[in-house]
Amino acid sequence: MNIVAKDFTPVTNVPPLKASRITKEYLGGSFKALDDVSFELHNNQITAFVGPSGCGKTTMLRIIAGLEYPTRGRLEVFGKNVQGPGPDRGMIFQAYTSFPWLTAMQNVEYGMKILKVPAAERRERTMNFLKLVHLEKFADTYPRSLSGGMKQRVALARTLAQNPAIILMDEPFGALDAQVRWEMQELMIELIEREKKTVVAITHDIEEAIYLADRIIFFSRQPGRIKADIPLTFKGGRRIKQKEELLEMPGYAELERQLFAMMREEIK
Amino acid sequence: MSKSRDASVSSLENLPSENVEAAPLYIPPKERFLEFRRQPSTQRASVLAFIGALAFFGLWEAGHYLTPASARKFFPSIGEVGSALYMLFAERNFLHDVSISCWRIFVSFMAASAIGVPIGILMGCFGNIRALFNPTLTAWRYLPAASFIPLLLVWFGPTDQAKIALLFIGVIFFLISLVLDNTTAIQKEFVEAGLTMGASRRVILTGIVVPAALPAIFDSMRNMIAVSWTYLVIAEIVGAQDGIGAVMMRAGRFLNVDVIMAGIVTIGALGLLTDVIFRGAARVLFPWNVERRS
Ligand SMILES: Nc1ncnc2c1ncn2[C@@H]1O[C@H](COP(=O)(O)OP(=O)(O)OP(=O)(O)O)[C@@H](O)[C@H]1O
Ligand SMILES: [Mg+2]
Repeated sequence: MNIVAKDFTPVTNVPPLKASRITKEYLGGSFKALDDVSFELHNNQITAFVGPSGCGKTTMLRIIAGLEYPTRGRLEVFGKNVQGPGPDRGMIFQAYTSFPWLTAMQNVEYGMKILKVPAAERRERTMNFLKLVHLEKFADTYPRSLSGGMKQRVALARTLAQNPAIILMDEPFGALDAQVRWEMQELMIELIEREKKTVVAITHDIEEAIYLADRIIFFSRQPGRIKADIPLTFKGGRRIKQKEELLEMPGYAELERQLFAMMREEIK
Repeated sequence: MSKSRDASVSSLENLPSENVEAAPLYIPPKERFLEFRRQPSTQRASVLAFIGALAFFGLWEAGHYLTPASARKFFPSIGEVGSALYMLFAERNFLHDVSISCWRIFVSFMAASAIGVPIGILMGCFGNIRALFNPTLTAWRYLPAASFIPLLLVWFGPTDQAKIALLFIGVIFFLISLVLDNTTAIQKEFVEAGLTMGASRRVILTGIVVPAALPAIFDSMRNMIAVSWTYLVIAEIVGAQDGIGAVMMRAGRFLNVDVIMAGIVTIGALGLLTDVIFRGAARVLFPWNVERRS
């Protein structure tokens, strides 16, 4: 992109996110959703949070986003202690959050308006990102008349246009049907590749996790802990856009088998 | 596999395209009058609405003629009510009463909305504000507005202020609780999306919560203005020289049932008009919310 909005990614060796000993208790301390969880995110990596239902993936993501606070522990973004939500961490929700009272174009513009990006640059970036998510023909359409996948693409464009350092996604394609989901996954790989973002995506779909992620953090349940931290080395440091190609790679089947076994262990 | 697909494709191409007849028209099953959730066309809806109104007026007329002749005075026909209406407008300056009634509704409802809508929105947004006001407002909601009439008459006398105050009291507490519900009902992710985009509280309030809740709030207002009319008639019956209610009350004293009914019809017509105006305004104000026609 030749135009530059405010960049939330400083040039340092400090990890974009460092979570140290995060514990989250609910119900006055009688229920531990997360228990002493520590990890770092790496620059320009896609990390998938995988684990059985109720293991605390959403809780962890919302703590990173600043929408919830941990009971114990510390959270640093580029070495700075996190206090509440901020535009350095963009979030895409499972529920459609494109605003129904704004057209697709106004939606994408909205995030940049909040950041006070000058009008001319804002407009150019908006059109750019609408094109990137293939919605330029629907610029003046209200979300009501868009399909679920299109609404989610509006949300994606709105978040990317703000140029956050970290993008957080909570089952972003969970409500979409199989074929649209697949299209969205491809689009996402393409966009992340292009925009160079650090991403955390929650998914309960093991195949999706392997396809999208450079690294999988597997959570165990009750209390929520990190069961395994798996770098997807079998991809050889690349992202594979063609799903068919990925399926043929040596190591794919073995990893999938392993993840399913871990999942079974958790839900038994 | 690809071979057999090719074969089927070529067999399609081989069909002589000229003597192919169009497929027979599909005959859908007979549509019943009572189809679940089937929406009639606009045209049909207006025909049905007309029939419904006709049935109402028919019953009315039948009721009139079935009443024994000695008592018919107390159940006037449509024609009689119509001429009473004409007489009211032509000879008794009824337009003045109608406009003063509308004015009372307008002023009181504007005041109730100007205060009630912001309070309801703030209560819906912020738990502390809700905790501050809600218990007290709930108690107020249970007080019948009519019970304030003696108090208002002592304070203001039989003035316009008294009537407007009564309408205001009758509407505002319900309006606040409806707006509160409308505001809490918005998708919580809208606010969270705003937070993660770095929006200030003011921007989230005015740029996200308000537009998200406004169509529902507008609907609540439309419903509450109907309640306004109820209290208007009570207020004007109790102590007024002018207004539709006062005209009806005076007519009652002389057993002029046709005039009373003319008043009822007028209020009904004004109510219908208000509803149409609100719906039309909602269409213009919230184009994103307009039902898609398939
Ligand atoms: N506000 C809350 N109060 C009490 N318990 C909560 C609250 N929010 C979450 N929990 C509990 O914390 C645990 C983790 O919840 P979380 O939503 O993070 O799970 P998850 O991994 O995202 O599950 P899923 O895959 O079903 O979305 C669950 O057992 C849940 O019941
Ligand atoms: Mg979840």
